Amino acid sequence: MNKVKMNYKALIGCFLIGTTLLISGCRKELLNQLPTTELAQELFWNNEADATIALMGAYAATRAVFDRDYYLDGHGEYTRVRGTSATNGNILRGDAYQGANYNPTGYGASFDKYYRYLYGAVNRTNYVIDNINRRLLPTAKGASLTNLETILAEARLLRGMVYFRLISMWGDVPYFGKEVFDNTEVSMLPRTSIKNVRDSILADFDYAIAKLPVKGQGIGRSGRPAAVAFRGKLHLFWGSWKKNGWPELTGFEKNSAEAQASFTAAAADFKSVINDFGLTLYKNGEPGDIDALGQAQILPNYYELFTPKANGNPEMIMVFTHLGIPANPSQGEELMRDFSGRTIEGSQCWVSPRYEIADRYQLISTGDFAPKMVQLNPSTNTNARTTANAAVNPNSYAGRDYRMKSTLLWDFEKTIGLTSLKSIGFSPFIYQTWAANVTINGVNYISYNTDGTNSGYVFRKFVRNYEGLGRSEGDYAYPVMRLADVYLMYAEATNEVSGPQADAVDVVNKIRRRGNLPELQAAKFGSYQAFFDAIEQERIVELVAEGQRGFDLRRWRAIERVWGPPGSAGVWRQDTWGANMQRYYQNTDDRTYQQNYIFRIPPGERDINPNLTQNTPWF
Amino acid sequence: MLLFKSTAHALFVWARENFYLPVSRGNFQLKPAHVTHGKRAWYLVILLFFTSMTTANAATVNGTVTGADNTPLAGVSVTLKGGTAGASTNAEGKYSVTVPDLKGTLIFSFIGYSTLEMAINGRGTVNVNLTETSNQLNDVVVVGYGRQKKVNLVGSVSTVNVDEKLTNRAVPNISSGLTGLVPGLSAVQNSGMAGNNRASLVIRGLGTVNGGSGPLIVVDGMPDVDINRINVNDIETISVLKDATSASVYGSRAANGVILITTRTGKGQRKTSLNYTGNMSLTAPTRGMDFMDDYARGLTLHQRRAAVSTLQGNQLFKNGTIDQWMALSMIDPVRYPNTDWWDVIMQNGSYQNHNVSASGGNESSNFFASVGVKDENGLQINNSYRQYNARFNFDAKVKDNMNVGFKFNGNWSDYKYALAEGFTDPDPANTAGNDMQYAIAGILPYDPKTGYFGGVMAYGEDPQAYNPYTLYINNLNSTNRQEATANLYYDWSPIKGLTARVDYNLNYYNQFRFGTPTPNQAYNFQTNSFGSRVYVGANAGISNFTNTGYKTLFNARTTYNTKIGENHDLTGLFVYSEEFWKDRFQGASRNDRLYPTLSEVDAALTDIQSTGGNSSVEGLRSYIGRLNYVGYNKYLLEANFRIDGSSKFLEGSRYGFFPSVAVGWRFTEEDFINKFTGSFLSSGKFRASYGSLGNNSGVDRYEQQETLNTLLYVINGGVQRGFVNNKMINRFLSWETTTVFNAGLDLAFFNNRLTTAIDYYDRLTTGMNRPSQFSILLTGAYSPAPRVNIGDLRNRGAEIDVNWRDRAGKIQYGVGVNASYNRNNLEKWNQFLGRGTTFIGMPYHYVYSYIDRGIAQTWQDVYNAVPQGAQPGDILREDLNGDGRITSDDQKAFRNQQEDRPSTNFALNGSLAYKGFDLVVLIQGAAGRKDYWINNFNNTNFGTQRYASTYNHLYLPWSWENRDGEWPRLGGSGNNRASTTFWLDDMSYLRVKNVQLGYTIPPKLLKRFGVTNLRLVGSAENLATLTKFRGLDPEGQGNSNSLYPINKSYSIAINLAF
Repeated sequence: MNKVKMNYKALIGCFLIGTTLLISGCRKELLNQLPTTELAQELFWNNEADATIALMGAYAATRAVFDRDYYLDGHGEYTRVRGTSATNGNILRGDAYQGANYNPTGYGASFDKYYRYLYGAVNRTNYVIDNINRRLLPTAKGASLTNLETILAEARLLRGMVYFRLISMWGDVPYFGKEVFDNTEVSMLPRTSIKNVRDSILADFDYAIAKLPVKGQGIGRSGRPAAVAFRGKLHLFWGSWKKNGWPELTGFEKNSAEAQASFTAAAADFKSVINDFGLTLYKNGEPGDIDALGQAQILPNYYELFTPKANGNPEMIMVFTHLGIPANPSQGEELMRDFSGRTIEGSQCWVSPRYEIADRYQLISTGDFAPKMVQLNPSTNTNARTTANAAVNPNSYAGRDYRMKSTLLWDFEKTIGLTSLKSIGFSPFIYQTWAANVTINGVNYISYNTDGTNSGYVFRKFVRNYEGLGRSEGDYAYPVMRLADVYLMYAEATNEVSGPQADAVDVVNKIRRRGNLPELQAAKFGSYQAFFDAIEQERIVELVAEGQRGFDLRRWRAIERVWGPPGSAGVWRQDTWGANMQRYYQNTDDRTYQQNYIFRIPPGERDINPNLTQNTPWF
Repeated sequence: MLLFKSTAHALFVWARENFYLPVSRGNFQLKPAHVTHGKRAWYLVILLFFTSMTTANAATVNGTVTGADNTPLAGVSVTLKGGTAGASTNAEGKYSVTVPDLKGTLIFSFIGYSTLEMAINGRGTVNVNLTETSNQLNDVVVVGYGRQKKVNLVGSVSTVNVDEKLTNRAVPNISSGLTGLVPGLSAVQNSGMAGNNRASLVIRGLGTVNGGSGPLIVVDGMPDVDINRINVNDIETISVLKDATSASVYGSRAANGVILITTRTGKGQRKTSLNYTGNMSLTAPTRGMDFMDDYARGLTLHQRRAAVSTLQGNQLFKNGTIDQWMALSMIDPVRYPNTDWWDVIMQNGSYQNHNVSASGGNESSNFFASVGVKDENGLQINNSYRQYNARFNFDAKVKDNMNVGFKFNGNWSDYKYALAEGFTDPDPANTAGNDMQYAIAGILPYDPKTGYFGGVMAYGEDPQAYNPYTLYINNLNSTNRQEATANLYYDWSPIKGLTARVDYNLNYYNQFRFGTPTPNQAYNFQTNSFGSRVYVGANAGISNFTNTGYKTLFNARTTYNTKIGENHDLTGLFVYSEEFWKDRFQGASRNDRLYPTLSEVDAALTDIQSTGGNSSVEGLRSYIGRLNYVGYNKYLLEANFRIDGSSKFLEGSRYGFFPSVAVGWRFTEEDFINKFTGSFLSSGKFRASYGSLGNNSGVDRYEQQETLNTLLYVINGGVQRGFVNNKMINRFLSWETTTVFNAGLDLAFFNNRLTTAIDYYDRLTTGMNRPSQFSILLTGAYSPAPRVNIGDLRNRGAEIDVNWRDRAGKIQYGVGVNASYNRNNLEKWNQFLGRGTTFIGMPYHYVYSYIDRGIAQTWQDVYNAVPQGAQPGDILREDLNGDGRITSDDQKAFRNQQEDRPSTNFALNGSLAYKGFDLVVLIQGAAGRKDYWINNFNNTNFGTQRYASTYNHLYLPWSWENRDGEWPRLGGSGNNRASTTFWLDDMSYLRVKNVQLGYTIPPKLLKRFGVTNLRLVGSAENLATLTKFRGLDPEGQGNSNSLYPINKSYSIAINLAF
């Protein structure tokens, strides 16, 4: 009995102590801790300001899949992309492009990550579109309604661009146009036929054209011309596919009537862009001034077009913007890091011109090609530097298209070296020297240093020549639609519809004017084919390193034309010294060609989703 | 009982010392005059006895203190209870103490022995026999929220008593000192880098695949303490809780086991003692990288490699360049250097540890205070780590039934390093982290005459080749960190058996990291001009990063202990606990430092700057309960539970319940068993436990909250706010749960000379937390994909620990062997698993490899193999699926080989003591792991320029002249670097981890200096390693870039006590 009593006492004591401590010690909200730097979802989507903020997120996500398109130029024959500066896992540092293959062949299986980020942008735009439609639009009125519709239009333009990129690489792709709340909503989606996807894209573009203001609300936000131009481009691509066929895409049939209709629609859209909005080429398409060979104080307008000085100019119909302050999170582009060498802020020269581009630059005097240059090795041939027409003789580059000096550095061409955000003066590029001491006309220079080129040239295009911003801090508004491209697409579309047209020749000449080239000789637009070749020539020179060439080759089914048919010896890429560097398409089988015409649906997704079919060459 | 033990003991003693009388022995009984030391001893005792009798009121007490087998114990502290008198025994175990009268009580205390109080009772001679603690029935073990008698323990708990054997070793932190000490605990040191040489601790194999697989560290009741910042000299015991029943009181964080650390107190000490422990050592790498200090030959290798595919005229390095370098390097080492980089960037490492402690107490209070410093200089130049520790532990009796105590621990560290891993950095954003492979021999590190740092000079060399010296001189990081932990407790026992206690703990830290690179540029001494590589730009600035935070812990605990009847012992425990974390970060950097000596951010221009900052908090609320029952001293039962609620999870999935139950049976207490086994089995216990544990470590603090992330954009040249929805929440995500079954058998034979513990466990982790497998249509936006409880992983294993301790004549010796085997098996994975090193029914990260056919010697070999683009000199691979091609499908899965960790660990401890000398040896090893030896420094397909070749590149590659070459040819097929069995090495090893030789100076020599103990120790770490692995170290898990070796060290230690 006594024992029981004692236990009872103990229990009471236990209880008393326990409760006292519980009451005094407890933190009430111990288990409800709110984040300190992230916004709770339920607090968002109240008004237009929120819609704009969400739209900015969508822009940033879409930027991530467009602003390094220059890597894609490696799929063509004039740009070598030996690697990328993209940082794995960092969407603002090119993660979408990271790890992919940018060679002229064998790339189709390496774009799983790009595919992933394209759909990332789809989700981001869907998020804006869905939430505006669901939460804000039903109650909006007046100016607020217009404003919301503009935001919606921008988001739909972005979504259209993303799906357009998807179909132009993979053909049929899964389509969804709504915000997703659970994996199961999309995990079993089959591919939608390219035709249906195209129609959805057109619907987005149509809406954007109807609702966008003529001029975007600030540099970085799109206006109506962008939507019209992209719709035209979609028609043009569709026309090309229908005309030339896409045998690797199962179920896709050639249809010349449909092709014609698309080309016609494309021409109409491009014409509208050209005429209806008062757009002009940069500095009215004037070539500007040019310095003497080997000097770089004065550079042509075409060079300036690809530096931040051209931000906001009317030629840039659609751009993705950047900001150059070394702030966190970084908004800078890395064009300098990718396009130039160590001499310029320790850049890495991942992207360089191939030797073969040089002969593409025509003579100002004749408006036609110069004699093919001769490749000589100056380390074994003492006369190489002075031999007429030698690739290592700087004088061989005299009198060329102004865009050549704007785009390339050849031997003894100088550019401003930069270190630690300060200029270190001019540095001449001399192939196969690396930061060597060179005396030119009595002045000592340290030569351009890069191990990134194997052609004898490096790019000047996209590389800033003034100090202040580092290699990863570029503030260039990267163009994804330029008026010059629209001109050339217009010429191409009209040529497809009804052969060379006067207004088409006229816009091509406007572009040639920029290189200070004379107008096209009559023979160059004497026939459909001659004019097509002239347009292609301008596309190669004008749009080099802008990521267009691979898409052009595929939609024109021109890979065999450029690299030779299956089983052939292939084509070497060389350097200014005449050494063979890389040979592509040597003894290459049909399957590889097919695989270069259409990309591989990510197999990891097919492992999970049995409804997802694969493109034929990838089985 | 007594008889049995004595008999068993006697049998052994008889074999050894048969001139002694066996009956008079017994090392477990505390009998003061139990001295039978042969006839001589008797005379002595009698003599002493009479001597003391005659001194009547002079009040001197003499006596002999003996230990096991009645051997005299030296250095035993003898004090008068409640008085000031004290003495210690000499080498013969004799003492003499002067006391006021012969009425008091003497207290005999000695480390490793239980303290004994003996009333003088008017005697002048008091002889006592002390019992070793480890053999004692009252031996207690620290467990979660309390202590338990070892004999009644039903969980699987291993303890490490931190004594001189550990503290005298030149191990830079405790984690790396635990290697080989505890079966089932693997402590793997991956690097010998000063400040970054902690060992990663894993208990009983990989418990989860979600990353958080380390045990919970609890120091003096405070969870989440950095084990490596504790002063090893402050530690009294370390308990490793391995099974559910011992660990489940730590609930949601205990799935990977718990390590409990208890620091020293002055409890039980009567006399204040002052101790000094010092340790000084020199360190050298166990194995290094043999970089070639011969640039001309390095260039020749470039030529050789280039010759495979490049015309001679198109090669980068010409014969002239190479010949010139070879010739002129003999006379002009500045302009034509052949730098031995390994020599330049390495130094003799050193390690010092000094520690002073004082402890003491009386009936009402006790204290322990210590200060310590450790100073490490790494093997890499300018890599150092210094840490100061201070501790003060104090307990006091407020009333008879009330205690209060206070513990304070502070530490302060200063860490200097160039790159995160010393020579390399795994962060892809830091490109210098990969550069060591570009440290060519043709660069002069530094020219003191001009003060310039060298760059490339040879024509054709890549100007980006690397001068590591400049980086390690000019581009250093410093991290200072201070931590302070304070703990206050108050306990009250209002009635017998009931104790209530509150604990409050605060752990505060402040860390400051700064980087102040000094501008420097590569110099070309041939052309006398700066090369183009700018190691650190002229606008180099200052970066400062501050991390601060605290953690608080509040515990309210009640325990109630009662006896029901004679034979039923019942203990109950209930704890309420709250834990709270807050961490803040702020960082800022500016370009253009004003002057090279300045290091704070204000000392730079403001033109270009950037900042960042954030914070996060977490809360955990827990209810813990335990019930222990001991019946008839042989039937044991324990039940535990813990309920944890964490702010990491959403309401509804927030609370986890982790119960466990264990039973034990001390079967040697049963007469019907003891009858048969008593002659050899001193004690035996069977125990079994089953229960569940949790793991929330993979989940971020705010991961489960529906929030928007920022993704900014730029309009009109200005940054715009942008929000995106990154998260799709799995509202049902909860703890990862591990259920453990453990069965163990503890046996002690031959009067506790031989003790064994055997454990078998089966540990099933269910619902492992992993980011779910999202459709690729979503992963570009929703990232990371929401976690799901994805799969089950089972670890089965066994552990054995056998110890033999005895003495032979005057030699005391002990041998301990422990071994553990673990096998894990992935049992369930509810999402798609492709080909790779993870698959159902296989160990996690098993070896999945191509099978090689060796190096093709002839074209015929190439033709005989499946076409794979090989030439003679390339590695040929087997076409396992016979489809005529080598694809990734041709890899084979090895069921019994794991890539990451060994399946078997074993260790052997040996100790020997003779007179003042003692010797300790620790040998340790592992087996059951294979890994590829492919790294950046054995690349046979190195780049066309700037590659730091090793001498292996010169001698090992296959060539027509060297057809026995161990490596494939230089510049061969890219497949030569694939993960084939060719590069797969057996990572088994056997390592002499530690050898220690100590000498204790006889106390009688020291007595007049007031020194009670002086011991000198020579110790060596990682003395030798037997392994087939060709890389740096078979123990660690590096990456292809790892370069910092493990240390071999030789040290001298001093222990001094006053």
